[in-house]
Amino acid sequence: MSILYDYEPDNPLANPSAEVPSPCIGICKMDAGSQWCSGCFRSIDELTAWSTASNDSKRAVWRQIKQRMFVTT
Amino acid sequence: MALDQAITLPAGIHVFERGWLSSNNILLIDDDSAALVDSGYLTHAEQTLALVQHGLNGRSLTTLINTHLHSDHCGGNALLQRTYDCRTLIPVADAPAVAVWDEQVLTYKATGQQCERFRYDGCIAPGDQLKLAGLQWQVMAAPGHDPHSMILYCASEAILISADALWEHGFGVIFPELIGESGFAEQAAVLQLIAELDVRLVIPGHGAPFTNVAAALDRARSRLDYLSADSSRNARNALKVLIAFLLLDSQQFSLQEVTEHIRSSRLMTAAAAQLATPIDLLIRQLAGELVSAGAARMDGERLISTR
Repeated sequence: MSILYDYEPDNPLANPSAEVPSPCIGICKMDAGSQWCSGCFRSIDELTAWSTASNDSKRAVWRQIKQRMFVTT
Repeated sequence: MALDQAITLPAGIHVFERGWLSSNNILLIDDDSAALVDSGYLTHAEQTLALVQHGLNGRSLTTLINTHLHSDHCGGNALLQRTYDCRTLIPVADAPAVAVWDEQVLTYKATGQQCERFRYDGCIAPGDQLKLAGLQWQVMAAPGHDPHSMILYCASEAILISADALWEHGFGVIFPELIGESGFAEQAAVLQLIAELDVRLVIPGHGAPFTNVAAALDRARSRLDYLSADSSRNARNALKVLIAFLLLDSQQFSLQEVTEHIRSSRLMTAAAAQLATPIDLLIRQLAGELVSAGAARMDGERLISTR
């Protein structure tokens, strides 16, 4: 339904060198409380670093997103 | 492309990879200046500013450059101008329309998209040389997607800021063809121009920076051949892209509202007129295609963004 639910950073069947998708869903507004984007749950540091991040660091961000999605702020 | 290999950029170049509603923003910093190329969509302007502030690390933005003036590339201009005393450079052919803020010529009314009025302080034109991030950049014309668009090329680093002329998988809608003007031939010439440059890294207007330029050019040429072989394909693609954009902007609307959007937008009306399909049927077909592409789902008569 949304890439935030569909993408699984640790899918054992996925090719580890396949491109890690951007979690951006086009909301692009920072949440004043959590300091995460209210669309994709990334911090400003993670957003600015994304374009040059390695696949390993992108997967690490995705693991954070999968936690933060369910945090009520 | 070796995808486990992270992209490396010269010191002073920072790429903020955004989505499809906002273009990417490229911050280029050296001792003398801090310039931003393209500022994203209006509704994302505050996040654009937050990203820029983070990248500037306490410095001021001195220069704002737009590759072209579509709403997803300059929607943050007004907020950046309120925040910083930044000299704003726009493509030379757009200057008269920006001076009087002609929203029809600037395509915002024509596409149903939003953009806050901003001012310009200077222009960029083909052949201009800019010093950004301590490097020399040449301004080149890139008509096709937008007749006035510019791209920026740094020969010493073999880097191209390609705007919507070349993405890793395709290029922007060829808008001039929707209103009976030439765009396919111009786009073909732009792809040829890029092919003749030495380019190791492309920073596109949307999507991730990429290094396999030859493969991207091959895909772009095939796509252009497909679209130009039958201009109704371009019209259909344009309508779908514009509806998807409005859907990202408003998250959901009814099929009746899609009809109203098309009727009130000059470019969407022109695209629909090129297709020999009654409007209600056409909208159902396009909605079905957006659902198949995973961009939307239908709930009764409502189309809902799934992004």
